[in-house]
Amino acid sequence: MGAYAMTMSLTEDQRDCYQEITNVAMGQAADRLARLLNVYVILPIPKVNMISASELHMALAGTTVSDNVSAVCQGFIGSGIAGEALLVFNDASFSDLAQLMNYKGPLDRHGELELLMDVSSVLIGACIHGIGEQIEVSFNQCHPVVLGQHCHVDDLVKSGNHQWSQTLAIEIHYEIEDVNISCDLLLLFTEDSVAKINQQIDYLLD
Amino acid sequence: MTKPGAEFGEMHWLMDVLQSIDVGLVILDRDYKIQLWNSFMENHSGLCPDDVHDKPLFESFSDIPETWFRQKAEPVFELKTRTFTIWEQRPYLFKFKNSRPITGRSSTMYQNSSIMPLESIDGSVNHICLIIYDVTDIAVNQKDLTNANGHLAYLSQIDNLTELLNREFWEKEFKREHKRCIRTSSPCSLVMFDIDNFKAINNKHGHQAGDEVIRTLASIVRQTARETDVCGRYSGEEFSILLVDTDATAATNFTERLRKKVASMVVNIEAHEIQFTISAGIAEYSKKFEKPAIWLEASEKALTHAKNNGRNKTTVYQSKE
Repeated sequence: MGAYAMTMSLTEDQRDCYQEITNVAMGQAADRLARLLNVYVILPIPKVNMISASELHMALAGTTVSDNVSAVCQGFIGSGIAGEALLVFNDASFSDLAQLMNYKGPLDRHGELELLMDVSSVLIGACIHGIGEQIEVSFNQCHPVVLGQHCHVDDLVKSGNHQWSQTLAIEIHYEIEDVNISCDLLLLFTEDSVAKINQQIDYLLD
Repeated sequence: MTKPGAEFGEMHWLMDVLQSIDVGLVILDRDYKIQLWNSFMENHSGLCPDDVHDKPLFESFSDIPETWFRQKAEPVFELKTRTFTIWEQRPYLFKFKNSRPITGRSSTMYQNSSIMPLESIDGSVNHICLIIYDVTDIAVNQKDLTNANGHLAYLSQIDNLTELLNREFWEKEFKREHKRCIRTSSPCSLVMFDIDNFKAINNKHGHQAGDEVIRTLASIVRQTARETDVCGRYSGEEFSILLVDTDATAATNFTERLRKKVASMVVNIEAHEIQFTISAGIAEYSKKFEKPAIWLEASEKALTHAKNNGRNKTTVYQSKE
């Protein structure tokens, strides 16, 4: 593991660059979310880390204060760079979200699914597009999949049998001013993508 | 270098692929009027492009809820972002028949859809492309899996013979109820009862008759208990019932009603007429029962007392203090 981690670790410059790219992308995403919901979105500082399979669970658990969450996952791929975007919603967010989205139907499991899909389409799409634009890659987005509704954060991602040992994780925590809505966007890049993005980033750094 | 005309040839191929690809493609303008329609859409809907061209989507397809669809499509126009819908939200957008009409197990086609912005030369989005995927097999398999898991969960909780809760699951519920009792002040009573001289019934009439007696008793329990009561088969001929929101007096009424019903009952099995009785022990929750096991022990003690005092009886546990 030690030797491997060495080869996969990020330099400070690279980390800064990832952070900068994410800042721009999530700013664009936040802008779209703000326009969709007509609210002010508080922008956080993204966390950029190389994490192992076991740490993914910790990263997920760290995203939320409450036990019950709902989450959507969407794969993306382009120019040899591939990954997944996970959007994790605190279940307590839905009633305020329904109000902002002007959702008229009953806020049952199905109603929450509608909101989850609507928001994730906009947020994930914008973020992936924003990152792609900066590293000059046009990503294909796969169809989103619901990882779970009202489930414990530990049950979102089945552990074991992972085909990877490390992933580049970018964690973004979104909050919306004056309302009880919080969600976390996790961008996870595969190991072999990291080398390719680093190339692009080194090129940008020069 | 590409030869002259090769580009046109490639375009032609591409058009051919888009026409015949196994995915539905629809282009809509800002007023949701259909502009383009590939052959997947044509073949599944039975409407050729001329039938639908320049007609509003919601007019040609009244099944699509307009408000809902606009909510998904407006961000595509306004924010230039791609949006997605999945079959879990709505099984389908277009009511098409299953593409396997003979062996398929669903009458309609399940669909995922994706709505993508189409930019004009000036960068504005005046058209969107609606992509329809047939996900019938995935949806049907997913539903099967969910049903199977639900059934497995049921099987793991239920005793085969009596269809009451099995011991493992009943104990889980019992522990949960014990926790609830510690928190709240509403009463709860535990009734343990078993069939008197069950061995003798088995020896005299055979095990099949014994099973029938247990089954009959279980059905009386189901008829007597309320929906909120938690009834389980604790072991061979021993049963346990948790009476929620019930003090010892009410629990005694319940148990006596059950005991009398059983005593007046005749089970007919292959020309044998079998009569049997039960003895019961009741323990209402008290603060002294710090652990579920202590509560259970109290009701067992009451049951033993009923057994030792002539059977066909109900005894209520009384603490010594």
